Amino acid sequence: MAGAANLIILAAGDNVGIALRDIRAGERAATLTGVSLQALEDIPQGHKLALGDIGEGQDIVRFAMKVAVTRAAIGQGRLVHVHNVASRYLNNDEDHYE
Amino acid sequence: MSSLATSAPRAGMRGFRRQDGRKGIRNYVLVAYLVECAHHVARMIAAPHQMEGAQLIGFPGCYPSDYAERVMTALTTHPNVGAVLLVSLGCEEFQRSRLKAAIAASGRPVELLTIQACGGTAATVAQGRSWVAEQLTALAAMESVPVALSDLVIGTKCGGSDGLSGVTINPAVGHASDLLVDAGATVMFEETCELIGCEEHMARRATTPELAEALRGAVRKADAYYTALGHGSFGGGNIKYGLSTLEEKSLGAYAKSGSRPIRGLLKPGVRPAGPGLYLMDTVNDGPVRYGIPNINDTQTITEMVASGCHLILFTTGAGSVVGQAVAPVIKGVSNSRTYRRMQGDMDVNGGTIADGVETVEDVGRHLVDAVIAAASGAPTKSEALGHQEFVLSYKTYEALGPGCLPV
Repeated sequence: MAGAANLIILAAGDNVGIALRDIRAGERAATLTGVSLQALEDIPQGHKLALGDIGEGQDIVRFAMKVAVTRAAIGQGRLVHVHNVASRYLNNDEDHYE
Repeated sequence: MSSLATSAPRAGMRGFRRQDGRKGIRNYVLVAYLVECAHHVARMIAAPHQMEGAQLIGFPGCYPSDYAERVMTALTTHPNVGAVLLVSLGCEEFQRSRLKAAIAASGRPVELLTIQACGGTAATVAQGRSWVAEQLTALAAMESVPVALSDLVIGTKCGGSDGLSGVTINPAVGHASDLLVDAGATVMFEETCELIGCEEHMARRATTPELAEALRGAVRKADAYYTALGHGSFGGGNIKYGLSTLEEKSLGAYAKSGSRPIRGLLKPGVRPAGPGLYLMDTVNDGPVRYGIPNINDTQTITEMVASGCHLILFTTGAGSVVGQAVAPVIKGVSNSRTYRRMQGDMDVNGGTIADGVETVEDVGRHLVDAVIAAASGAPTKSEALGHQEFVLSYKTYEALGPGCLPV
Protein backbone atom coordinates (compact mmCIF):
# COMPACT_ATOMS: atom_id res chain seq x y z
CA MET A 1 0.00 0.00 0.00
CA ALA A 2 2.97 2.35 -0.50
CA GLY A 3 1.37 4.92 -2.80
CA ALA A 4 3.30 8.04 -3.73
CA ALA A 5 0.68 10.43 -2.39
CA ASN A 6 0.88 11.71 1.18
CA LEU A 7 -1.34 14.76 0.65
CA ILE A 8 -4.87 15.29 -0.64
CA ILE A 9 -6.49 18.48 -1.96
CA LEU A 10 -10.20 17.95 -1.50
CA ALA A 11 -11.43 20.50 -4.07
CA ALA A 12 -9.94 22.67 -6.79
CA GLY A 13 -9.28 26.16 -5.42
CA ASP A 14 -8.57 25.00 -1.86
CA ASN A 15 -5.59 26.79 -0.26
CA VAL A 16 -4.78 23.86 2.04
CA GLY A 17 -4.06 20.18 1.51
CA ILE A 18 -4.61 17.46 4.12
CA ALA A 19 -1.79 15.12 5.18
CA LEU A 20 -2.75 11.49 4.52
CA ARG A 21 0.22 10.32 6.59
CA ASP A 22 2.61 12.07 8.95
CA ILE A 23 4.77 14.36 6.78
CA ARG A 24 8.09 15.46 8.30
CA ALA A 25 9.69 18.90 7.98
CA GLY A 26 11.72 19.06 4.76
CA GLU A 27 9.82 16.14 3.17
CA ARG A 28 7.97 16.53 -0.16
CA ALA A 29 4.20 16.62 0.08
CA ALA A 30 2.62 15.18 -3.07
CA THR A 31 -0.92 14.42 -4.20
CA LEU A 32 -2.12 11.59 -6.42
CA THR A 33 -3.11 14.30 -8.92
CA GLY A 34 0.45 15.66 -9.34
CA VAL A 35 0.71 18.64 -6.94
CA SER A 36 4.03 18.63 -5.10
CA LEU A 37 5.64 21.02 -2.60
CA GLN A 38 8.02 20.95 0.34
CA ALA A 39 6.68 20.79 3.89
CA LEU A 40 8.54 23.35 6.02
CA GLU A 41 7.46 21.80 9.31
CA ASP A 42 5.94 18.55 10.58
CA ILE A 43 2.37 18.02 9.29
CA PRO A 44 0.77 15.14 11.24
CA GLN A 45 -1.80 12.92 9.54
CA GLY A 46 -5.15 14.70 9.11
CA HIS A 47 -3.58 18.16 9.56
CA LYS A 48 -3.51 20.98 7.02
CA LEU A 49 -0.61 22.24 4.91
CA ALA A 50 -0.61 25.72 3.28
CA LEU A 51 -0.41 25.22 -0.50
CA GLY A 52 0.75 28.83 -1.06
CA ASP A 53 1.43 31.98 0.96
CA ILE A 54 -1.73 33.04 2.79
CA GLY A 55 -2.05 36.56 4.24
CA GLU A 56 -3.38 37.56 7.66
CA GLY A 57 -7.19 37.75 7.87
CA GLN A 58 -7.65 35.45 4.88
CA ASP A 59 -10.04 32.53 4.64
CA ILE A 60 -8.79 28.97 4.85
CA VAL A 61 -10.61 27.09 2.11
CA ARG A 62 -10.96 23.31 2.41
CA PHE A 63 -13.27 21.30 0.17
CA ALA A 64 -14.44 24.61 -1.34
CA MET A 65 -15.65 25.82 2.06
CA LYS A 66 -14.34 28.53 4.37
CA VAL A 67 -13.37 26.62 7.49
CA ALA A 68 -11.29 29.23 9.35
CA VAL A 69 -9.74 32.70 9.15
CA THR A 70 -5.99 33.28 9.53
CA ARG A 71 -4.71 35.17 12.61
CA ALA A 72 -1.29 35.70 11.03
CA ALA A 73 0.31 35.31 7.62
CA ILE A 74 1.06 31.64 6.83
CA GLY A 75 3.83 30.72 4.40
CA GLN A 76 3.65 27.98 1.78
CA GLY A 77 4.51 24.59 3.25
CA ARG A 78 3.54 25.59 6.81
CA LEU A 79 1.14 23.87 9.22
CA VAL A 80 -2.31 25.50 9.38
CA HIS A 81 -3.93 24.88 12.76
CA VAL A 82 -5.26 26.47 15.95
CA HIS A 83 -2.03 28.47 16.54
CA ASN A 84 -2.51 30.53 13.36
CA VAL A 85 -6.23 30.34 12.49
CA ALA A 86 -9.50 31.06 14.29
CA SER A 87 -13.14 30.04 14.03
CA ARG A 88 -15.87 32.36 12.87
CA TYR A 89 -18.10 30.57 15.39
CA LEU A 90 -16.45 29.22 18.54
CA ASN A 91 -13.21 30.42 20.14
CA ASN A 92 -10.59 27.70 19.77
CA ASP A 93 -8.87 28.56 23.03
CA GLU A 94 -11.71 27.36 25.21
CA ASP A 95 -11.32 23.93 26.64
CA HIS A 96 -14.29 21.93 25.36
CA TYR A 97 -14.77 18.22 25.75
CA GLU A 98 -15.00 16.19 22.60
CA MET B 1 -16.31 13.28 -13.87
CA SER B 2 -18.02 10.08 -14.88
CA SER B 3 -21.77 9.90 -14.86
CA LEU B 4 -24.30 7.12 -14.77
CA ALA B 5 -26.96 6.33 -17.31
CA THR B 6 -30.13 8.13 -16.20
CA SER B 7 -33.44 6.52 -15.37
CA ALA B 8 -32.85 3.44 -17.56
CA PRO B 9 -33.40 0.22 -15.61
CA ARG B 10 -30.02 -1.28 -14.75
CA ALA B 11 -29.27 -4.88 -15.44
CA GLY B 12 -29.88 -6.86 -12.30
CA MET B 13 -31.74 -4.25 -10.27
CA ARG B 14 -35.15 -5.76 -9.45
CA GLY B 15 -37.81 -4.76 -7.02
CA PHE B 16 -41.42 -5.06 -5.95
CA ARG B 17 -44.09 -2.66 -7.16
CA ARG B 18 -46.38 -1.25 -4.47
CA GLN B 19 -49.86 0.20 -4.83
CA ASP B 20 -48.61 3.80 -4.36
CA GLY B 21 -46.26 3.44 -7.35
CA ARG B 22 -43.06 3.08 -5.34
CA LYS B 23 -40.85 0.02 -5.75
CA GLY B 24 -39.19 -1.86 -2.90
CA ILE B 25 -35.81 -3.55 -3.15
CA ARG B 26 -36.72 -6.00 -0.38
CA ASN B 27 -39.96 -7.80 0.39
CA TYR B 28 -39.93 -7.96 4.16
CA VAL B 29 -42.57 -9.18 6.57
CA LEU B 30 -42.49 -6.65 9.40
CA VAL B 31 -43.37 -7.69 12.92
CA ALA B 32 -44.15 -4.50 14.85
CA TYR B 33 -44.78 -4.23 18.58
CA LEU B 34 -46.86 -1.26 19.68
CA VAL B 35 -45.54 -0.97 23.25
CA GLU B 36 -42.49 -2.39 25.05
CA CYS B 37 -44.78 -4.85 26.87
CA ALA B 38 -45.37 -6.59 23.50
CA HIS B 39 -41.69 -6.54 22.48
CA HIS B 40 -40.78 -10.00 23.75
CA VAL B 41 -43.77 -11.65 22.09
CA ALA B 42 -43.01 -9.88 18.79
CA ARG B 43 -39.35 -10.93 19.01
CA MET B 44 -40.36 -14.56 19.64
CA ILE B 45 -42.66 -14.43 16.60
CA ALA B 46 -39.99 -12.98 14.30
CA ALA B 47 -37.00 -14.96 15.64
CA PRO B 48 -37.33 -18.19 13.60
CA HIS B 49 -37.60 -16.18 10.38
CA GLN B 50 -35.20 -13.29 11.01
CA MET B 51 -32.69 -14.51 8.42
CA GLU B 52 -35.49 -15.08 5.88
CA GLY B 53 -37.05 -11.64 5.69
CA ALA B 54 -39.00 -11.24 8.93
CA GLN B 55 -37.89 -7.93 10.45
CA LEU B 56 -38.65 -6.58 13.93
CA ILE B 57 -39.56 -2.96 14.67
CA GLY B 58 -41.64 -1.24 17.35
CA PHE B 59 -42.38 1.70 19.59
CA PRO B 60 -41.74 1.16 23.31
CA GLY B 61 -43.82 4.05 24.70
CA CYS B 62 -47.24 3.52 26.28
CA TYR B 63 -48.36 7.14 25.91
CA PRO B 64 -49.55 8.51 22.57
CA SER B 65 -47.11 10.34 20.29
CA ASP B 66 -48.01 11.89 16.92
CA TYR B 67 -44.34 11.58 15.90
CA ALA B 68 -44.15 7.86 16.72
CA GLU B 69 -47.46 7.17 14.98
CA ARG B 70 -46.25 9.04 11.87
CA VAL B 71 -42.94 7.14 11.80
CA MET B 72 -44.60 3.74 12.45
CA THR B 73 -47.18 4.40 9.71
CA ALA B 74 -44.45 5.39 7.26
CA LEU B 75 -42.34 2.31 8.06
CA THR B 76 -45.20 -0.20 7.89
CA THR B 77 -46.13 1.20 4.44
CA HIS B 78 -42.49 1.47 3.29
CA PRO B 79 -41.74 0.08 -0.20
CA ASN B 80 -39.33 -2.54 1.21
CA VAL B 81 -42.24 -4.01 3.24
CA GLY B 82 -44.61 -6.61 1.78
CA ALA B 83 -46.74 -7.55 4.80
CA VAL B 84 -47.12 -6.45 8.44
CA LEU B 85 -47.98 -8.17 11.68
CA LEU B 86 -48.88 -5.75 14.49
CA VAL B 87 -48.43 -7.03 18.05
CA SER B 88 -50.32 -5.15 20.74
CA LEU B 89 -50.55 -5.85 24.45
CA GLY B 90 -54.07 -4.46 24.49
CA CYS B 91 -54.10 -1.63 27.02
CA GLU B 92 -51.44 0.68 25.52
CA GLU B 93 -52.53 3.96 23.97
CA PHE B 94 -51.11 3.42 20.49
CA GLN B 95 -53.86 3.86 17.86
CA ARG B 96 -53.57 0.28 16.62
CA SER B 97 -56.80 0.20 14.58
CA ARG B 98 -55.85 3.39 12.78
CA LEU B 99 -52.40 1.97 11.96
CA LYS B 100 -53.92 -1.31 10.78
CA ALA B 101 -56.36 0.57 8.53
CA ALA B 102 -53.53 2.63 7.00
CA ILE B 103 -51.55 -0.52 6.20
CA ALA B 104 -54.60 -2.24 4.71
CA ALA B 105 -55.30 0.87 2.60
CA SER B 106 -51.74 0.64 1.23
CA GLY B 107 -52.61 -2.74 -0.30
CA ARG B 108 -50.51 -4.85 2.09
CA PRO B 109 -51.63 -7.92 3.99
CA VAL B 110 -51.87 -6.93 7.67
CA GLU B 111 -52.81 -8.77 10.86
CA LEU B 112 -53.24 -7.40 14.36
CA LEU B 113 -52.69 -9.72 17.32
CA THR B 114 -53.62 -8.44 20.76
CA ILE B 115 -51.88 -10.47 23.44
CA GLN B 116 -54.62 -9.97 26.03
CA ALA B 117 -57.31 -11.16 23.59
CA CYS B 118 -55.26 -14.03 22.14
CA GLY B 119 -54.81 -15.62 25.54
CA GLY B 120 -51.27 -14.62 26.44
CA THR B 121 -47.73 -15.13 25.28
CA ALA B 122 -47.68 -18.73 24.01
CA ALA B 123 -50.95 -18.47 22.06
CA THR B 124 -49.93 -15.16 20.45
CA VAL B 125 -46.49 -16.46 19.50
CA ALA B 126 -48.01 -19.57 17.87
CA GLN B 127 -50.58 -17.55 15.91
CA GLY B 128 -48.03 -14.94 14.92
CA ARG B 129 -45.44 -17.43 13.71
CA SER B 130 -47.91 -19.23 11.51
CA TRP B 131 -49.08 -15.91 9.99
CA VAL B 132 -45.51 -14.79 9.32
CA ALA B 133 -44.61 -18.14 7.70
CA GLU B 134 -47.66 -17.91 5.41
CA GLN B 135 -46.80 -14.36 4.36
CA LEU B 136 -43.15 -15.20 3.65
CA THR B 137 -44.29 -18.00 1.35
CA ALA B 138 -46.79 -15.74 -0.42
CA LEU B 139 -44.24 -12.92 -0.85
CA ALA B 140 -41.65 -15.32 -2.26
CA ALA B 141 -44.02 -15.94 -5.19
CA MET B 142 -44.49 -12.23 -5.91
CA GLU B 143 -43.27 -11.13 -9.33
CA SER B 144 -40.40 -8.66 -9.42
CA VAL B 145 -40.04 -5.67 -11.76
CA PRO B 146 -36.99 -3.81 -13.09
CA VAL B 147 -35.68 -0.99 -10.90
CA ALA B 148 -33.82 2.14 -12.08
CA LEU B 149 -31.57 4.36 -9.97
CA SER B 150 -34.29 7.00 -10.36
CA ASP B 151 -36.63 4.70 -8.37
CA LEU B 152 -34.30 4.77 -5.37
CA VAL B 153 -34.14 6.95 -2.28
CA ILE B 154 -30.76 6.82 -0.51
CA GLY B 155 -29.86 8.23 2.90
CA THR B 156 -26.33 9.14 4.01
CA LYS B 157 -25.13 8.99 7.61
CA CYS B 158 -21.89 8.86 9.60
CA GLY B 159 -21.13 7.29 12.95
CA GLY B 160 -17.96 6.54 14.87
CA SER B 161 -16.07 9.05 12.71
CA ASP B 162 -12.31 9.52 13.00
CA GLY B 163 -9.69 12.00 11.75
CA LEU B 164 -9.78 10.60 8.23
CA SER B 165 -13.59 10.39 7.86
CA GLY B 166 -13.87 13.96 6.58
CA VAL B 167 -10.91 13.45 4.22
CA THR B 168 -11.62 10.05 2.66
CA ILE B 169 -14.94 8.25 2.98
CA ASN B 170 -17.25 11.24 3.60
CA PRO B 171 -16.12 13.12 0.45
CA ALA B 172 -16.41 9.79 -1.41
CA VAL B 173 -20.02 9.50 -0.24
CA GLY B 174 -20.46 13.10 -1.44
CA HIS B 175 -19.19 12.08 -4.87
CA ALA B 176 -21.51 9.03 -4.85
CA SER B 177 -24.35 11.37 -3.88
CA ASP B 178 -23.59 13.57 -6.91
CA LEU B 179 -23.50 10.53 -9.24
CA LEU B 180 -26.79 9.22 -7.84
CA VAL B 181 -28.53 12.61 -8.06
CA ASP B 182 -27.30 13.00 -11.65
CA ALA B 183 -28.79 9.57 -12.43
CA GLY B 184 -32.20 10.76 -11.18
CA ALA B 185 -32.10 9.24 -7.70
CA THR B 186 -33.30 10.91 -4.51
CA VAL B 187 -30.67 11.40 -1.80
CA MET B 188 -30.94 12.81 1.71
CA PHE B 189 -28.38 13.84 4.32
CA GLU B 190 -28.95 14.77 7.97
CA GLU B 191 -27.39 15.77 11.31
CA THR B 192 -28.35 19.46 11.45
CA CYS B 193 -26.52 19.63 14.79
CA GLU B 194 -23.28 18.82 12.96
CA LEU B 195 -23.79 21.37 10.21
CA ILE B 196 -23.10 24.47 12.30
CA GLY B 197 -20.89 26.66 10.15
CA CYS B 198 -22.13 25.10 6.91
CA GLU B 199 -25.46 26.94 6.86
CA GLU B 200 -24.43 29.74 4.48
CA HIS B 201 -22.79 27.28 2.09
CA MET B 202 -25.94 25.12 2.22
CA ALA B 203 -28.17 28.16 1.73
CA ARG B 204 -26.30 29.01 -1.48
CA ARG B 205 -27.08 25.49 -2.75
CA ALA B 206 -30.81 25.87 -2.08
CA THR B 207 -33.02 25.97 -5.16
CA THR B 208 -35.20 28.81 -3.78
CA PRO B 209 -34.65 31.76 -1.38
CA GLU B 210 -37.42 30.42 0.89
CA LEU B 211 -35.66 27.07 1.17
CA ALA B 212 -32.33 28.84 1.82
CA GLU B 213 -33.90 30.55 4.83
CA ALA B 214 -35.47 27.28 6.02
CA LEU B 215 -32.04 25.55 5.87
CA ARG B 216 -30.43 28.36 7.88
CA GLY B 217 -33.32 28.13 10.36
CA ALA B 218 -32.87 24.36 10.80
CA VAL B 219 -29.20 24.83 11.74
CA ARG B 220 -30.04 27.77 14.07
CA LYS B 221 -32.64 25.57 15.76
CA ALA B 222 -30.11 22.75 16.21
CA ASP B 223 -27.54 25.18 17.64
CA ALA B 224 -30.07 26.62 20.12
CA TYR B 225 -31.39 23.19 21.11
CA TYR B 226 -27.96 21.72 21.83
CA THR B 227 -26.86 24.88 23.64
CA ALA B 228 -29.91 24.54 25.91
CA LEU B 229 -29.09 20.86 26.45
CA GLY B 230 -25.55 21.84 27.47
CA HIS B 231 -23.70 19.94 24.77
CA GLY B 232 -20.28 21.05 23.60
CA SER B 233 -19.24 19.97 20.14
CA PHE B 234 -15.61 20.93 19.51
CA GLY B 235 -12.56 20.23 21.55
CA GLY B 236 -9.37 18.38 22.37
CA GLY B 237 -9.91 15.20 20.37
CA ASN B 238 -10.89 17.19 17.29
CA ILE B 239 -7.78 19.38 17.58
CA LYS B 240 -5.60 16.30 17.98
CA TYR B 241 -7.00 14.98 14.68
CA GLY B 242 -6.06 18.25 12.94
CA LEU B 243 -9.44 19.96 12.98
CA SER B 244 -8.91 23.65 13.80
CA THR B 245 -12.47 24.96 14.11
CA LEU B 246 -16.07 23.89 14.73
CA GLU B 247 -16.94 24.75 11.12
CA GLU B 248 -14.11 22.56 9.86
CA LYS B 249 -15.43 19.69 11.96
CA SER B 250 -18.93 20.24 10.56
CA LEU B 251 -17.48 20.16 7.05
CA GLY B 252 -16.41 16.56 7.63
CA ALA B 253 -20.03 15.49 8.01
CA TYR B 254 -21.30 17.98 5.42
CA ALA B 255 -18.92 16.51 2.81
CA LYS B 256 -21.32 13.56 2.53
CA SER B 257 -23.85 15.86 0.84
CA GLY B 258 -21.72 16.34 -2.28
CA SER B 259 -22.18 19.42 -4.43
CA ARG B 260 -25.59 19.24 -6.09
CA PRO B 261 -28.38 21.78 -5.46
CA ILE B 262 -30.47 21.20 -2.32
CA ARG B 263 -34.14 20.81 -3.31
CA GLY B 264 -35.85 20.56 0.03
CA LEU B 265 -35.91 20.23 3.81
CA LEU B 266 -37.58 17.12 5.27
CA LYS B 267 -38.87 16.07 8.65
CA PRO B 268 -39.08 12.41 9.73
CA GLY B 269 -41.86 10.63 7.84
CA VAL B 270 -42.21 13.37 5.21
CA ARG B 271 -41.29 12.07 1.77
CA PRO B 272 -39.19 13.98 -0.77
CA ALA B 273 -41.22 15.64 -3.54
CA GLY B 274 -39.37 14.28 -6.56
CA PRO B 275 -35.73 13.38 -7.18
CA GLY B 276 -32.68 15.37 -6.05
CA LEU B 277 -30.93 16.16 -2.80
CA TYR B 278 -32.69 16.90 0.53
CA LEU B 279 -31.69 17.74 4.10
CA MET B 280 -33.41 15.86 6.94
CA ASP B 281 -34.13 18.04 9.98
CA THR B 282 -33.25 15.73 12.89
CA VAL B 283 -33.87 18.12 15.79
CA ASN B 284 -37.16 18.56 17.71
CA ASP B 285 -39.27 21.67 17.22
CA GLY B 286 -40.17 23.81 20.21
CA PRO B 287 -38.53 23.88 23.63
CA VAL B 288 -36.17 21.15 24.85
CA ARG B 289 -38.44 18.18 25.53
CA TYR B 290 -37.74 14.44 25.93
CA GLY B 291 -33.97 15.09 26.07
CA ILE B 292 -31.46 14.32 23.32
CA PRO B 293 -33.20 14.51 19.92
CA ASN B 294 -31.71 11.32 18.47
CA ILE B 295 -30.35 8.97 21.09
CA ASN B 296 -28.04 7.11 18.66
CA ASP B 297 -27.22 6.60 14.97
CA THR B 298 -30.03 4.09 14.60
CA GLN B 299 -32.76 6.60 15.39
CA THR B 300 -31.46 9.00 12.75
CA ILE B 301 -31.32 6.17 10.22
CA THR B 302 -34.85 5.14 11.18
CA GLU B 303 -36.08 8.69 10.54
CA MET B 304 -34.53 8.74 7.05
CA VAL B 305 -36.05 5.32 6.30
CA ALA B 306 -39.41 6.67 7.48
CA SER B 307 -38.99 9.36 4.81
CA GLY B 308 -38.67 6.63 2.19
CA CYS B 309 -34.99 5.62 2.03
CA HIS B 310 -34.52 2.19 0.43
CA LEU B 311 -30.84 2.06 1.42
CA ILE B 312 -28.42 3.84 3.74
CA LEU B 313 -24.79 4.75 2.97
CA PHE B 314 -23.15 4.76 6.40
CA THR B 315 -19.57 5.91 6.97
CA THR B 316 -17.43 5.04 9.94
CA GLY B 317 -13.84 5.40 11.10
CA ALA B 318 -13.74 3.56 14.42
CA GLY B 319 -15.89 0.77 12.98
CA SER B 320 -19.67 0.79 13.47
CA VAL B 321 -21.46 -2.49 12.72
CA VAL B 322 -25.13 -1.42 12.63
CA GLY B 323 -27.76 -2.33 10.07
CA GLN B 324 -31.43 -1.39 10.00
CA ALA B 325 -34.69 -3.33 10.11
CA VAL B 326 -36.42 -1.81 7.06
CA ALA B 327 -33.57 -0.59 4.82
CA PRO B 328 -30.23 -2.32 4.14
CA VAL B 329 -27.15 -0.41 5.32
CA ILE B 330 -23.96 -0.17 3.21
CA LYS B 331 -20.83 0.50 5.29
CA GLY B 332 -17.98 2.67 4.07
CA VAL B 333 -14.86 2.94 6.24
CA SER B 334 -12.38 5.82 6.40
CA ASN B 335 -9.11 3.93 6.94
CA SER B 336 -7.53 0.64 5.89
CA ARG B 337 -6.61 -0.39 9.43
CA THR B 338 -10.24 -0.57 10.56
CA TYR B 339 -11.14 -2.12 7.20
CA ARG B 340 -8.66 -4.96 7.69
CA ARG B 341 -9.67 -5.48 11.32
CA MET B 342 -13.44 -5.53 10.58
CA GLN B 343 -13.57 -6.56 6.94
CA GLY B 344 -16.54 -8.84 7.60
CA ASP B 345 -18.64 -5.78 8.46
CA MET B 346 -17.39 -3.28 5.85
CA ASP B 347 -18.69 -3.04 2.28
CA VAL B 348 -16.35 -0.35 0.90
CA ASN B 349 -12.85 0.71 2.00
CA GLY B 350 -12.21 4.46 1.69
CA GLY B 351 -8.81 3.97 3.36
CA THR B 352 -7.36 3.45 -0.11
CA ILE B 353 -7.60 7.25 -0.53
CA ALA B 354 -5.29 7.81 2.45
CA ASP B 355 -3.07 4.99 1.22
CA GLY B 356 -2.61 6.99 -1.98
CA VAL B 357 -3.85 4.22 -4.27
CA GLU B 358 -7.35 5.46 -5.10
CA THR B 359 -9.04 8.84 -5.46
CA VAL B 360 -12.20 10.15 -3.78
CA GLU B 361 -13.93 9.66 -7.15
CA ASP B 362 -12.82 6.00 -7.37
CA VAL B 363 -14.26 5.22 -3.94
CA GLY B 364 -17.43 7.18 -4.80
CA ARG B 365 -17.93 4.87 -7.76
CA HIS B 366 -17.38 1.80 -5.55
CA LEU B 367 -20.13 3.11 -3.26
CA VAL B 368 -22.51 3.49 -6.22
CA ASP B 369 -21.60 -0.06 -7.30
CA ALA B 370 -22.46 -1.22 -3.78
CA VAL B 371 -25.86 0.54 -4.07
CA ILE B 372 -26.51 -1.21 -7.39
CA ALA B 373 -25.49 -4.59 -5.94
CA ALA B 374 -27.74 -4.16 -2.90
CA ALA B 375 -30.64 -3.06 -5.15
CA SER B 376 -30.00 -6.19 -7.23
CA GLY B 377 -30.73 -8.34 -4.20
CA ALA B 378 -27.21 -9.00 -2.93
CA PRO B 379 -27.20 -8.71 0.87
CA THR B 380 -24.98 -5.98 2.31
CA LYS B 381 -22.44 -7.09 4.94
CA SER B 382 -24.66 -6.01 7.84
CA GLU B 383 -27.69 -7.72 6.29
CA ALA B 384 -25.81 -10.99 5.78
CA LEU B 385 -24.78 -10.86 9.44
CA GLY B 386 -28.42 -10.51 10.50
CA HIS B 387 -28.24 -6.91 11.70
CA GLN B 388 -31.62 -5.23 11.91
CA GLU B 389 -31.17 -2.48 14.48
CA PHE B 390 -34.18 -0.36 15.30
CA VAL B 391 -35.03 2.33 17.84
CA LEU B 392 -37.77 4.91 18.15
CA SER B 393 -38.28 7.32 21.05
CA TYR B 394 -40.44 10.34 21.83
CA LYS B 395 -39.98 13.57 19.84
CA THR B 396 -42.07 16.56 18.84
CA TYR B 397 -42.26 18.12 15.40
CA GLU B 398 -44.42 20.84 13.92
CA ALA B 399 -45.58 20.63 10.30
CA LEU B 400 -43.07 21.69 7.62
CA GLY B 401 -43.14 25.39 6.85
CA PRO B 402 -43.85 26.79 3.37
CA GLY B 403 -40.93 26.71 0.96
CA CYS B 404 -39.39 23.54 2.40
CA LEU B 405 -40.43 21.28 -0.47
CA PRO B 406 -40.30 21.90 -4.23
CA VAL B 407 -43.74 22.50 -5.78
